[in-house]
Amino acid sequence: MKKCTERPRNLCSLNGAISVAANIYKCIPILHASPGCSNQASQGTHMYYLGGYHGLVSTNAYEREVVFGGSKRLQETIQGSLEVMKGELFTVITGCSMGINGDDIDSVIREFEDSPYPIIGIDTAGFKGDTYFGYQATLLAIVKTLARKTKTDPRRVNVYGQVPHTDETLRGDIEELDRIFARIGVKLNTFFIKTDGIEQLKNSGNAALNINLSPWMNRNLDSYYEHQFGIPTLHYPGLPIGPTAVEDLLRQVAEALDLDRDLVESVIQDEKQYVYHYFDSMMGTFERLRYILVGESNTVLGYARYLTNDAGHIPLAVIITDSVSDKFKPDIEAEIHKLECDRKADVYYEDDVYLIEQIVGKYKDRATALIGGSYDKVIAKHLNLFFVLATYPCFEKQTLNRSHIGIRGCLTLTEDLYNHY
Amino acid sequence: MAKEILDKIRDTRPGFADAQAGTAETLRNQARQGCFKNAHRTFQQGIQCVQLNSVNTLYSIQDSVMIIHAPYGCSACASRGIINLDVKKHHIGDTSDISSHLMSTALGEKEVILGGEKRLEDTARQAIDRYHPKILFIVSSCASAIIGDDIDAVAERLQAEFPEQVFVPVHCEGFKSRNHATGYDLALSAIHNYIIKDAKPEKKKGLINLFATHSLSMKDQEEMKRLLKLIGLEVRILPYFATYEELLEIPAAEYNVSVCQIFGDEYMEFLHQKYGTPYTVSCMPIGIKSTDFWLRSIAKLCGKEKEAEEVIAKERAAVQEEIAVIRKKTEGLTACITAGTGRGLAAATIIEDYGIKLLCIHTPYYEESYVDAFERLEEHHGSEYIINVADMQPFEQINLLKKLKPDLFIGMANWASRLGIPTTHILDGKRPTFGYRGVLYLGRKLEDALDNNNFNRKLKDYTELPFRDEWYDEDAFKYIEFPEV
Repeated sequence: MKKCTERPRNLCSLNGAISVAANIYKCIPILHASPGCSNQASQGTHMYYLGGYHGLVSTNAYEREVVFGGSKRLQETIQGSLEVMKGELFTVITGCSMGINGDDIDSVIREFEDSPYPIIGIDTAGFKGDTYFGYQATLLAIVKTLARKTKTDPRRVNVYGQVPHTDETLRGDIEELDRIFARIGVKLNTFFIKTDGIEQLKNSGNAALNINLSPWMNRNLDSYYEHQFGIPTLHYPGLPIGPTAVEDLLRQVAEALDLDRDLVESVIQDEKQYVYHYFDSMMGTFERLRYILVGESNTVLGYARYLTNDAGHIPLAVIITDSVSDKFKPDIEAEIHKLECDRKADVYYEDDVYLIEQIVGKYKDRATALIGGSYDKVIAKHLNLFFVLATYPCFEKQTLNRSHIGIRGCLTLTEDLYNHY
Repeated sequence: MAKEILDKIRDTRPGFADAQAGTAETLRNQARQGCFKNAHRTFQQGIQCVQLNSVNTLYSIQDSVMIIHAPYGCSACASRGIINLDVKKHHIGDTSDISSHLMSTALGEKEVILGGEKRLEDTARQAIDRYHPKILFIVSSCASAIIGDDIDAVAERLQAEFPEQVFVPVHCEGFKSRNHATGYDLALSAIHNYIIKDAKPEKKKGLINLFATHSLSMKDQEEMKRLLKLIGLEVRILPYFATYEELLEIPAAEYNVSVCQIFGDEYMEFLHQKYGTPYTVSCMPIGIKSTDFWLRSIAKLCGKEKEAEEVIAKERAAVQEEIAVIRKKTEGLTACITAGTGRGLAAATIIEDYGIKLLCIHTPYYEESYVDAFERLEEHHGSEYIINVADMQPFEQINLLKKLKPDLFIGMANWASRLGIPTTHILDGKRPTFGYRGVLYLGRKLEDALDNNNFNRKLKDYTELPFRDEWYDEDAFKYIEFPEV
């Protein structure tokens, strides 16, 4: 990590690993880590099936394992996991202490060769990288183990590029994507949350296309699918939110999969009409916001497109909190500059809460709205900005099936923009 | 500089266990005969660590910045806790800005290989630049401790450079102790070693320190203060949101008291040795019996026995009638409890007030000094209730619940609610659970859980626990390797 950070939103690689493993239904993460990692590194990661951090399996390595090695603890823990935990896939993910002490995890896993369930070891020691590193490494390792190709399904598409738990409306968003794509005859493998997630991972080798929603992540997964199964990747940087974005994405997918044009066009028109039917009813309530957006690149790009291109608001600044590598920054800035508005937003990359507050402060009096996470509430209050809690991390609200993406999700997001309490 | 208090871990206290199980009678006999030994769980689920308790103890102290010398992950709970738990609001009723500042040194692979001391110094400089705090806590982690970063040496270097500030290193790496309450001790010793040092302030007449954990709500603090005021005592609750000056005055107190068996007991003993301050470690004043015990032990310490008896009689009388009404519903039912050491014991006394019988209690630790407290429970609950020494471990909890079939589960209900049984918790961040009035509030919670269990009852048919069906046929303690006794 490049520098010290005050109250980082981004956490360690174990956090990214837990986010992947604990959100694949019936995948059991086994932490080879000291106590505390199960609690700290799992913050905000949902883990609906496991029921919370106490539901994670952990070797809880103490001083003895740090000094003398933790292989025996890991061996007995895997044994117990296979017997007790109702899982169909097991992942051994490491924390700092067991990453430094050099345990040979693969050789311990090899002792379980006759296990009926796959067991995958992934080096995710906290210091190796951040949430985004852990997410990418873990998803790649799981795909490498599970994905197979039997016969290409020309209507099946893999969608990835979003750390599961940092999408604050994950479940609703998956449902909305599924709904829209089902209308044009396309089945999506979204891997997370759904009860057939492991099946989806297995048959992801049969997909005809990948949609990578991240402007910078999962390039390793793109090339694995390409080289192993010949699956091309469509890069659509940012979550597809609002009628313009959905139209754009559907057209690109229709072209890549050679879908029936008439069907796709009629679905697009129908979905747009649905949104505009609601927009039309907002006459008189519409209020143009000059907004600052704080969030991950995926979210920020998706929200900015919708807020600017469809909802008619003015982008002042976007502050990107995920650890985008320098190589991809010009692409993100180009996307922001493509927004259909004469005024071009300033782009910042920052995850330090103090420095984010300093940046936002520069827009005092000029901005009218701040769309961000729970950490951003304080500065919004200071500058008397209308605050919308809609990016990671959101603590103060219970999110069940609401979505912020696609067609129905853009309406929910619009409600959030206007509901002042 | 020589430390006044050397780092000590709770694992070495007589009869300590973090893995054990048996009836109350079995464990009591073993402990009394001095043959109680810790066991080993070959399979475990997630538990918390020492570092988190040290961080929780210190990060709210005013005019301070906490530096977590670790990869990003170790700052997760506290970073989020500052906002999510809104500790400030719930502790001191202050809804203004966040005053806790927390920085991660964000250790990466490079620092783990080459050392992270420079990053730590840079972070401290940044912190001073941003907030000019009086106190800088420097908290170690698994990673920083294993690679051998010398946080004491860094603190000393910084101290020489910044004489206005106070640098407080805390050695609380997560693997250090099996008893995570050690994290509280390490935090309190660090306050003493680096802030109070060898100060010998004059005793302040009437000053009483009350050491309390961060899980204590403002309402519970108010209730304790109210009860103590009725017997003529004023207390200062520490160390949450304490100021630098208040910390310096710790040795000036006339008495020290606490509110949990595992918070502040070691430190109060030190203060007794060094400053002759009398103290009492009692319990959490939850439930009639525990509140009586708590109030009487403080009253005895401070010579207010007569006043205490009057207050106890009056306060008990005020709640008796409603307790009797609720009791009609709860009398004769059975319950299982999972909670932290102090709160779990207290929960067992509150169900006693409502005539409920304890079948099993999951408690994170056991040691000889708790035997009396568990024995007091035997008076009402009998000697056959099961003590499972386990920090959560839902796999054992659910296995036992399936076998014991209690009428009520008290604790974190993430798993138990999926069984369809009524569940409730005695930990409440917003309303009073302490004292005689708390008995009523908690009684109403028990009553509510029993009167409307529709949520859990209907949920059970549409949910799945993450454990194999075969597991429920096994002995719940299959994965505990018991030592030879």
